[in-house]
Amino acid sequence: MAELTLPKNSRIRPGKIWPRPTAGRLTEFRVYRYDPDSGETPRLDTYFVDRDDCGPMILDGLLWIKNKVDPTLTLRRSCREGICGSCSMNIGGANTLACTKGMDDYTGAISVYPLPHMPVIKDLVPDLSTFYEQHRSIEPWLKTVSPMPEKERLQTRDDREKLDGLYECILCACCSTSCPSYWWNGEKYLGPAVLLQAYRWLIDSRDEAAEERLDNLEDPFKLYRCHTIMNCAKVCPKGLNPAKAIAEIKQMMAKREFA
Amino acid sequence: MIDKAAISSPGTHYGDPKAATRLFRLQRLTGALNIGFLAFFAWLVLNLAGADRASMLALFHNPVVAILCGLLLVSAGLHMRIGMLEVIEDYVATPARNHLAVLINDIVAYGAIILGLLALLKLLIWG
Repeated sequence: MAELTLPKNSRIRPGKIWPRPTAGRLTEFRVYRYDPDSGETPRLDTYFVDRDDCGPMILDGLLWIKNKVDPTLTLRRSCREGICGSCSMNIGGANTLACTKGMDDYTGAISVYPLPHMPVIKDLVPDLSTFYEQHRSIEPWLKTVSPMPEKERLQTRDDREKLDGLYECILCACCSTSCPSYWWNGEKYLGPAVLLQAYRWLIDSRDEAAEERLDNLEDPFKLYRCHTIMNCAKVCPKGLNPAKAIAEIKQMMAKREFA
Repeated sequence: MIDKAAISSPGTHYGDPKAATRLFRLQRLTGALNIGFLAFFAWLVLNLAGADRASMLALFHNPVVAILCGLLLVSAGLHMRIGMLEVIEDYVATPARNHLAVLINDIVAYGAIILGLLALLKLLIWG
């Protein structure tokens, strides 16, 4: 649902300014802090990261803060190389992965917020459970009716190539949480990431449930809330184009009416 | 709040599936047609600039112009209705307000089409 003003308990107040190291090459981080158990409203803490003492990426800076300045700072991270999608967050006003974004990409203070318009569990950790339930709803696995072959289900090179630009999605949710339609209708609209995954199975030559998948997707909210805003394609840290995948699904819907 | 079981169920629908695709196709169709109609409308306005009433009536009595004007009114009106419906569905979540907004949108859009067609008919029949 559209919310044009923040509720009182979501308004961000100025936070603590942590001590500035006396030496070193410093980069200022302004990090969103929120602990629902404290009953306090969110705040923006300021930290100074010594670039001579940590790696070059935003994630390195955040971990440096956590290890050396403020161990209460909470964030998700795992692979630190853009594969797991855990450290997706809003950095410098755009959703991206903290592990693949360099501090040098920014001038001045670097603002770090959790993914937008999601419930916050703590600090930079959003609640992605609805996103995962939506992913479950598209049944992201191979569905077949033909008998199991003796070996693997084969695919031509051309058919395999159709999955390029789709299979690389790491479900970091950067695209979905950058989409205004997903902000307003996040429970009903599946969002770019899940629809890209849906298309990945729709065009898999080995899958035999395309009609059933299209029946499930055909809905004014699940699919047709996409208004081609293109934020998804702009922010995808893997360089994918979910908007194109959604357009392809819409085309499949329109075509099957005549089939 | 929609419960998680409904969200994760593949068969959950939040509206009429077939109507959604029909609306999508109609939106694209009227959108494409309106590009052509825009050119026709510009031509019409330029032709009528500074013209007297008799010249205007003579132009509208041309069957091609009359039919194109009628189609323009229908296409633009339908496109307007769908566009506003999208905005309402996006932003008006409360059921009562949503139904009211959809009703007002339908009245305004279909009203504009009907009034426009009646005005065109009046020009053609009574001058």
